[in-house]
Amino acid sequence: MIFDRPTSVELVEAVSEFLLKEIKTNLPAHLAFKTQIAINVLNIVRREQENKELLTKESKEILLNLLSNPQEANIKELAEQIAAGKLELENKELQKALIDITKKKISVDNPKYSTYQKLIK
Amino acid sequence: MSEELQLKIEEFLLKNGIEGKVSELVPLTGGASAETWRFTFSNKNKSEQMILRRGSGKKSPLAVLKSEEAAIQQKVKSSGAPVPEIVAISSDDKDLGDAYLMSLIPGESIARKILRDKKFSEARQKLAFQCGEALAKIHSVNLKDFEQVPKKPIREELDRLYLTYKSFKQPLPVFEYTFKWLDIQNFTTRKDALVHGDFRLGNLMIDESGLAAVIDWEMVSIGNPMLDIGWMCINSWRFGQSEKVVGGFGDLEEFLEGYSSISKEIIDHEEIKIWQVLGTLRWGVICLIQVYSHLNGDVNSLEKAAIGRRVSETEIDLVDLLFLGGK
Repeated sequence: MIFDRPTSVELVEAVSEFLLKEIKTNLPAHLAFKTQIAINVLNIVRREQENKELLTKESKEILLNLLSNPQEANIKELAEQIAAGKLELENKELQKALIDITKKKISVDNPKYSTYQKLIK
Repeated sequence: MSEELQLKIEEFLLKNGIEGKVSELVPLTGGASAETWRFTFSNKNKSEQMILRRGSGKKSPLAVLKSEEAAIQQKVKSSGAPVPEIVAISSDDKDLGDAYLMSLIPGESIARKILRDKKFSEARQKLAFQCGEALAKIHSVNLKDFEQVPKKPIREELDRLYLTYKSFKQPLPVFEYTFKWLDIQNFTTRKDALVHGDFRLGNLMIDESGLAAVIDWEMVSIGNPMLDIGWMCINSWRFGQSEKVVGGFGDLEEFLEGYSSISKEIIDHEEIKIWQVLGTLRWGVICLIQVYSHLNGDVNSLEKAAIGRRVSETEIDLVDLLFLGGK
């Protein structure tokens, strides 16, 4: 890594804080709403930066376990094998893989989402 | 821009035999595919609030034209379902383009306010029953009056959703699984009905005593009425209040009670589940359509970009419904 601090995560955090505390509060409702969307987007970027290495590694393990061939252990191949009927709908390991990978995605995209909160309790 | 529009509205109303002045014209944030304006219309007899809804005039696979939407609303109104009164319809560029004017129904359409503000607490008690009742009225209209409405048999609709999803080349294993799963489900055959297509908070005007009007008819079709019932019961439209299956405010029993106060159709819970799965998937594909309209450069919009990361909300709801006993 050749870059100095602040890290990309720290930079994104700074912008997000600035929008929340100094910009959003001084805007009319419809622009405050849009600013909140911008803040949400920056928070996605932050969570993805912080967690992507671990989440990608864990997902790869799940995919390898299900698809065995290392060359095939990716999301595209999983989608294709389901579409082609190579993985059956009753397959419990497939179902568990879909649950686990989806949880990892939503933990970055929107960890406050009601269904995710219910499932990690 | 808005002064010019003000004059155009006055001219157009005059052409329809309604003389008066337009003032306080303001844009409202609303649906993504149409612009919406509110204004005051006054003459020597009265002063009232009206709404202008205006589309791009382009045919879209999801939405009917604004002029068609208005004509459909006019006819639905005679069935007794609560729908705003249409004042005039334009389909000519010399007038307002593809647009219509309607009277403003006082009330609130923002879901989070309806679900949380104290002033709607009484309305929330009755809303599930009223929504069931209104939907049943919409589903019982005589189809002879709606021959111009596009027919969307559910299997064809699913094929269309699949092709749309595939066209974006973004592999989503949960979606593939769900399409396969829906392929082998037994959809109870029901008599074709007028289907609103987007019946949920956001498209309902609510006042202190409950449901005041059903708005935003652009996704209307002729098809299986269960689509509207499942759509109203998906977690995507509960706005965080997941424990209340119907729209985040009501229970399924009250909703179905309202429905069967008008309709003789018998609906069981297992059947609703299939339509919840279908509805959640449909919303997921609509999110993809929205984000790719941004990514392809058709419209540059932060909201549309952000909605791409809401696809995983539909995925988690799908795995919950399919594997984990979600409701």
